[in-house]
Amino acid sequence: MKKLLAVALAVAMLLGMVSIASADEPVVLKVASIWSAESEANRAPMLKTLEQFKEAHPEIVLEVEWYEANAWKDQGETLALSDSLPDVFYWNAGGVLWNLVSSGDILPLNDYLTEDISSQLIGGALANMTFDGKVYQLPYTNACSCLYCNTELFEKYGVKIPETLDELYAAVEAFKAAGVTPMALGGGDKWPTNMYTDIITLRFVGDAAARACYYKEDGATFKTQDWIDGMAAFKKLIDLGAFPDNAIELTRDESEVPYFNGEIPMYVHGQWFSGSLSAEMQAKVKAVPFPAVGKGYDNMWMGGPAEGFSIAAYTQHPDEAFIACQFLAQHQSDNGFECGAGLPAWKTEVQCGNPVMNQIAAAVANADTILLWGNTALSGDDATLIGDTVYDVLAGTLTPEQWCEDMETIFAK
Amino acid sequence: MKRVLSNKWSIMVFVLPTVVFFTYIVIFPIFKTLWYSLLNEIPAKVGDASYFSWLEHYIAMFTPGRRNPFPGAVVNSLLYAALSIFVQLPFSMFIALLLANGAKGESMYRNIFFIPVVISSVVVSLLWGRLYKGLLPQIFESLGWSVPKNGFLGNPQTKIWFSFIPSLWQYVGYHMLLMYGALKSIPEDVIEAATVDGASGAKMAFRIQIPMIKPMLKVCLSFSLIGSFKLFDTPWVLLERSNRDLPALSMYVDMFSNHNYSYASAQAIFIVLECLVFTILLNVVFSDRDERNLRRRKERV
Repeated sequence: MKKLLAVALAVAMLLGMVSIASADEPVVLKVASIWSAESEANRAPMLKTLEQFKEAHPEIVLEVEWYEANAWKDQGETLALSDSLPDVFYWNAGGVLWNLVSSGDILPLNDYLTEDISSQLIGGALANMTFDGKVYQLPYTNACSCLYCNTELFEKYGVKIPETLDELYAAVEAFKAAGVTPMALGGGDKWPTNMYTDIITLRFVGDAAARACYYKEDGATFKTQDWIDGMAAFKKLIDLGAFPDNAIELTRDESEVPYFNGEIPMYVHGQWFSGSLSAEMQAKVKAVPFPAVGKGYDNMWMGGPAEGFSIAAYTQHPDEAFIACQFLAQHQSDNGFECGAGLPAWKTEVQCGNPVMNQIAAAVANADTILLWGNTALSGDDATLIGDTVYDVLAGTLTPEQWCEDMETIFAK
Repeated sequence: MKRVLSNKWSIMVFVLPTVVFFTYIVIFPIFKTLWYSLLNEIPAKVGDASYFSWLEHYIAMFTPGRRNPFPGAVVNSLLYAALSIFVQLPFSMFIALLLANGAKGESMYRNIFFIPVVISSVVVSLLWGRLYKGLLPQIFESLGWSVPKNGFLGNPQTKIWFSFIPSLWQYVGYHMLLMYGALKSIPEDVIEAATVDGASGAKMAFRIQIPMIKPMLKVCLSFSLIGSFKLFDTPWVLLERSNRDLPALSMYVDMFSNHNYSYASAQAIFIVLECLVFTILLNVVFSDRDERNLRRRKERV
């Protein structure tokens, strides 16, 4: 009897020790982040965010894997097939997010999203991350694309910063005549070309018609004169020689080097680009809305909260994962804005030190509408198609009319 | 030991783990992929909406259309296979013959030609990318030649050819080394006898050395052919993102970007069958020739 009691006591003590040990042990979460390159504007803010998390939540350890953006997209899709996505991970919103939501890989956050948390987000921040009333992501940035003009080059060649499409054509011709490549473009990555075509076509078709097409609403169609005119305007820029001769074979990184070096005067890209500009370039660059066309859609923008952090549906620690997800999204929003890498998706008191980002923030604050980019709103092969078709237009193998016909096929599925 | 190895049951016991492992990681996935390719979409994606669509994906793969890149991708892979067989292998053979016949600096050149093989394909692609986008256009311009419209890697008509060159270049050393090893293993007395009979240079190469390394040539041909149908990394890195200019690229984009898992499975099965058919054809061609030669020799005797 004594022996039995001794054994029972020993077991109880052992179990007690185990439970004490496990209570003290921090929860380890796997996190996937993009911005693996030191040159990425969001990398430094993310490192700061991770440091802040370490201090605020010692009970949770984040094991971060860094990826290049495109590489992570492919890797994430692959991991999702085997239900092995990390606990918390960076992902795009819209159709790209829907791919993983539809395959049951992402945890809905509604049970965790209290009124207190939701009220800290800017208005409409969750629109691109909500499907059937369920929220699947928390944004860390609000996005938009604009025209970056190198004022030094504009002054040097006596060219006016374009406010209308005709002025843009004139500026392109003036720079071309002076032997300067007018606009940067990395067509090899495809999506930088979508940045141009999305905003140009938006000026011709307007938010409602473009939204209907990108979200495949009933009755939507690409086969209208407005869509053709929009793509024809882009084609005209190509024909005028707006882009480098080999723009189609350049990656985004390669294409941006001459802009950073002050050799190219114009670039249409997302707001994150302003964070990649050196202090010297920030003083020279002016970010303006894409030139007006005069059809009543000139204060409409492409972008919106399009990126954020999601939680894998099969995480073993959903409560801790949500704490990490919210912390990363909210603090990255602050830190990214503070150093000029992005516009905040959460209400903030932080001031941005980047004058270019402040110009964008001021301009987009008065936007009539903001529409998610076509290749982000669309999903699967539709998103691939819009990238492939603009690539073909840039290559000169597809006319604007054929582009509309090819895009129309997304409605047949 | 001999007794153990002559016992069929012992052999089976020894082989069983490998057979099970091989079946699980190679045979089973092939059949699972075949099954997926016959469904409208995989059950993991669409649940109860999954049903047998039989050959629908295979028909779609070869239905002509501006937005169906697969037929063009197959043609490109055949072109690459032809380039491998008719350009890469003869060039490798030429270098192997030069080195095996005692060229000055044999060891040094052998190592130099082999260096690209040990470099990662991605690194090789990046190096060639720099060459195509930077140095080569500058050289062309300084010589007054015109660079293809949209650059070497952007012109739709020429880009695939330029993307083939780095892989062809990279694996010349690999085939050269295989052939060189085979040439070196030809008995000295055969070479001496042929020399005494007056054979030298091209005659020695075409009448003695090349026929004697035929088994190795068959290996090189098989590697070349199968490698051509599976080519992925170099065009993936060199050309535009999500390009579908080769079957393996098309399969990858449909699988991981477009989420058409069943359609991508059909493409994977096509690639497996393509490799299988060409390997069998190669065996048939070579074995027929062996048999014919044997018959001729018997007739002469």
